[in-house]
Amino acid sequence: MSEPLVALEDAAVGYNGRSILSGVRLTVAAGDFLGVVGPNGGGKTTVLRTLLGTLPPVAGRLYRPHPIRIGYVPQREQVDGIWPFGVEEVVLMGRVPRLGPLRRPGAADREAVLRALGRVGIRDLAGARYGELSGGQRQRALIARALAAEPELLALDEPASGMDPGAELATMELLAGLQEGGGPAIVMVSHRIESVLAVARSIAFVDRERGLFRVGPKAEMLRPDALEALYGRPVRVREEGGRSFVVPLDRPASGAAGEGGR
Amino acid sequence: MTSLAGFLEAREIWEIPLAASIVSGALLGALGVYVVLRRTVFVSAALTQLSTLGLVATLLVEEALHVEAEHLSEQLAVAMAFSVVGALLLGAFRPRRVPAEATVGAAWVVASALVVLGASRLVHAAHDLGGIVFGNAVAVPVADLVAIAVVAAVATGVHLLFAKELAFASFDPETAGALGLRVRLWDAVLFLTLGIAIPPTARALGALPVFAFLTLPATAALLLRAGFRTAFALAAAFGIVAAAGGYVVSWFWETPTGATMVALAALLAVPGAAWRFARG
Repeated sequence: MSEPLVALEDAAVGYNGRSILSGVRLTVAAGDFLGVVGPNGGGKTTVLRTLLGTLPPVAGRLYRPHPIRIGYVPQREQVDGIWPFGVEEVVLMGRVPRLGPLRRPGAADREAVLRALGRVGIRDLAGARYGELSGGQRQRALIARALAAEPELLALDEPASGMDPGAELATMELLAGLQEGGGPAIVMVSHRIESVLAVARSIAFVDRERGLFRVGPKAEMLRPDALEALYGRPVRVREEGGRSFVVPLDRPASGAAGEGGR
Repeated sequence: MTSLAGFLEAREIWEIPLAASIVSGALLGALGVYVVLRRTVFVSAALTQLSTLGLVATLLVEEALHVEAEHLSEQLAVAMAFSVVGALLLGAFRPRRVPAEATVGAAWVVASALVVLGASRLVHAAHDLGGIVFGNAVAVPVADLVAIAVVAAVATGVHLLFAKELAFASFDPETAGALGLRVRLWDAVLFLTLGIAIPPTARALGALPVFAFLTLPATAALLLRAGFRTAFALAAAFGIVAAAGGYVVSWFWETPTGATMVALAALLAVPGAAWRFARG
């Protein structure tokens, strides 16, 4: 296994010194695609913020062997559309940490912005007003901003939230495509496990109510015992059109395994 | 109504107050873009009242100590201390467990009440209170104009040098923090510029015009669909027009200066509002 970019070592995560979830052991290395799944309010974003260093761990340790460039895509609703920024200006913000204070963006930065916009397929919207874009276009603009940082680690918080199924699929395909030919490691938070199953290679289940934190390769996390720990009931995994769907069941899934369940 | 000839002859009376009004209008108008976009309009109202409270507190101490002459620099220093501390507490380091509206509203109403209570104890300076609160701008000493110009230069310099950090930290603090920006530091810098801008302008123009200049010119610019950078220039221009225009109109029509400035600033927002309304 390659050297980790970032890791949480036996960490407790929470706010103002109060832990909401403990025993978090998580490592992200180059080339990883980790999906963080759990119910709304389950602590996924808290784990992500702690991993990114914006929230200190309540206990344990955040380990970063060396400084890394981070790209971050927040929940879309957190970015206020009232600000009169053009798409290009928003994406250029991804370059701000690289520039540091007192330096203005140059030609190379603008080139990186256009490249990032091209990668997410909205280069033609460079001159548009961010606040006037559709939800899916805004999401692509925010992903472009994260890519403009030329990140080693790309973190996304609910990137498909509020999207119709077509836009969600397009976003997931876009994310999967980012790693073709050696892109950044990706950590994606989602309350919808189906979003994650389409693209992630490893998955973490997070639910503060149940004190649950469990992480492993996708195949391992799709085993009935792992899924039951997340959903608190039997589940069945259904394959359709090359995609996986998790169906929580009302009664014990005895015999379901023989009908395509796992 | 005063004649134009009379106005020009009285140049020595109005040139300093008019200059102070123009610089204040430009400075507050531009800063107002952040005030409006960050949805912190009432923070600026509370800061204006805190600054006024600082002035009243200094006047009270001067009277208690039987200080005959006014000490403008001390008054300004105390007002600035009140405003800067308020800016940091209400803006940059606001306690997250209490709703923003509650802390800002409490600061505004308590500061307002203390201004009234403090003013009721003033003997000699009580007549100044109307001007301090509602706007006067008739008699502005050169020292005040210098203070306003220095503050405007500092604030402009800070905003030009750190424009991208201030914008990023304000627009999307979570991402800015994740990418390594020190969001609290940049928030503090932003609110410090607001905190130092309010006291000298409030003493020259009054609390009401200052609050108006921090909201109306920026609103007018944003209603016209100005881009982020253009909005600063446009809001500063609207601030200048409202301040200078309001001053001149009040001179000729013999209306209260501060209120006239506010009315003109509000009028400047009408075209943008009408255009938005027409577009649906």
